[in-house]
Amino acid sequence: MTRWFEDIVIGEVFPLGSHDFTEAEIIRFGRLYDPQYFHIDPEAAKFSHFGGLVASGWHTVSVGHRHMVDALFAEEDRLRSLGKEPGVSGPSPGVNKMQFKVPVRPGDRVTYTLVVTGKRPSNSIPGWGLLFNTIEATNQRGETVYHAELVGFSKLRDYKMPLRLRLLMALTRLPVLGKLLSPTG
Amino acid sequence: MNPVTVHRRHYEDLRVGEVIDIGRTTVTKEMIVTFAREFDPFPFHLDEAAAKASLLGGLASSGWQTAALSLRMLVDSFLNTVASMGGLGFSDLKWKAPVMVGDTIGGTATIAALRRSRHHPERGIVTLDFDIRNQKGEAVMSMRLANLVEVRDPSVPLDGAA
Repeated sequence: MTRWFEDIVIGEVFPLGSHDFTEAEIIRFGRLYDPQYFHIDPEAAKFSHFGGLVASGWHTVSVGHRHMVDALFAEEDRLRSLGKEPGVSGPSPGVNKMQFKVPVRPGDRVTYTLVVTGKRPSNSIPGWGLLFNTIEATNQRGETVYHAELVGFSKLRDYKMPLRLRLLMALTRLPVLGKLLSPTG
Repeated sequence: MNPVTVHRRHYEDLRVGEVIDIGRTTVTKEMIVTFAREFDPFPFHLDEAAAKASLLGGLASSGWQTAALSLRMLVDSFLNTVASMGGLGFSDLKWKAPVMVGDTIGGTATIAALRRSRHHPERGIVTLDFDIRNQKGEAVMSMRLANLVEVRDPSVPLDGAA
């Protein structure tokens, strides 16, 4: 979450809130990104094994992502209100696993919950750490809609650049050496 | 019989190794900002100055938008030509490079595996490996997607196919 890497507690649970899916928004997302008949045509969808219109899994996941981003912003506000400096979240390198379990139908309410499952400093980006989270999405009957295993970046508060790297960065600022050392130069 | 899909390719018509050209899409600033406002309102997807200061180095699409656009290309090129029954999920989704304003992304999806469902003999599972690249040929995203496809003749025993 929007905390410094050092402050993130493994096992911490973040309720992300709920969303009510309407037929109109299911069809709107489907037409843009997943125009299969059971996502965009309520009549034709009756012939599918779903028996009716269902949301694209990518739609329920995108809404879940929005809820996570909103929770990050809320956590940032909470820390500021306590007089603390929030950490910095970065873009995500990927998703290890996503399982669509039970389809979402018009009128369903989906509730999202994030759990921090692990963390480690990044090997490739100095000063940043990798966070491992799961998101569980459930419907109003308590059935799992999807289970996700996500990876995110969070900045280290106490990072000190190693001497070797600081030297390299100083050298790349010299006009001639910079051209030789920088990867794009 | 499903009248929507009866004339489409079914599970039996698919082969491991088939490479699907999913085409190309150019990503505009308007597309990036519209998606980000609804689903991913981080400053680095909405605001050029904030994006320049971030790890991404410039205004870039949400990774979820890159994935959704790749899916859209797969629907148009493949899933709407077969008797698709929807997705089971995906694994190993990697956002390898940011997709910047004006980039054209596209690529291939390759059938990596085919098997019948043990619990539902009328369902086949097709596994597709995505290789999405930008106009410079750089890899921007990869993932492995599992999708269900109707079996035309579920009475055929599982052994041969599973």
